[in-house]
Amino acid sequence: MKSLRSNSPRGNILRAAGLACALFALSAHAQQAAAPSDAQIAGIVVAANQIDIDAGKAAKAKSKNKEVQAFAQQMITDHSAVNKQAGDLVKKLKVKPEDSDTSKGLKSAAKQTADKLKGLSGAEYDKAYADNEVAYHQQVLDALDKALIPNAKNAELKGLLEKVRPAFVAHLEHAKMVVASLAKK
Amino acid sequence: MIPRPRTLALLALFASAGLVPPAPASGAGTGHEVRIEGMKFVPARIEVHRGDTVTWVNQDLVPHTVTAQKAGLESGQIDHDKRWTYKASKAGEIPYVCRFHPGMRGILVVK
Repeated sequence: MKSLRSNSPRGNILRAAGLACALFALSAHAQQAAAPSDAQIAGIVVAANQIDIDAGKAAKAKSKNKEVQAFAQQMITDHSAVNKQAGDLVKKLKVKPEDSDTSKGLKSAAKQTADKLKGLSGAEYDKAYADNEVAYHQQVLDALDKALIPNAKNAELKGLLEKVRPAFVAHLEHAKMVVASLAKK
Repeated sequence: MIPRPRTLALLALFASAGLVPPAPASGAGTGHEVRIEGMKFVPARIEVHRGDTVTWVNQDLVPHTVTAQKAGLESGQIDHDKRWTYKASKAGEIPYVCRFHPGMRGILVVK
């Protein structure tokens, strides 16, 4: 665990590489596997949002940095709002969100990340959380563009995915700002 | 009989020089709308007259705010499909942001 706790460039690279591998595998899987059904897409959307809500709650409880706290609160608010809309839509469409290898993989990768973050504190934690948020939003955007939006069959579901995309882009930019700001300290 | 083309030309000249006064502040003003969509204020810049109202309509799935602390503009949280209306009473240029999303900026110009 020492290398994960290290704030050395090597430690950071290892952390980022581990997460990138897990998410790349998910993104690649989402593209290669049989096209996900609408129910599976709904399951992936709900899982992806819930993961970032949970990460935000953990960061809000653990970080002492105001910028990180504000970002974490934003993730909780925005992803909760998206999940509410997604929940309302699947009810209306009478679609039950289904688990898939992709949603299961997302949850498993998120648990690994959460476990890693639990072992960190202070500035190391803030940096690892912010780095993870950059990587996570980038990968979720890739999955949206390459697997979810192209395969959504229901027009309203596709519309919801398209509508949520700019928020994920804004989150990615916001996370990069937090990373840059932390690097100055 | 006053030649109409000259009158029109004079009016155009005054207007281009900014000499045509804005609508009076009293009475019912015009209503304007700014959409919040795709994490942007649309239009990003809006010009209104004193007494007009501006309504921000949130068409995004996530909540936003319309905030300009120095000008005392604060909508509070505007949820999806909700709106917030502001009556422009004081002339000036008011740059505003969404408190939640640092990249979102707009300008309200009150004449």
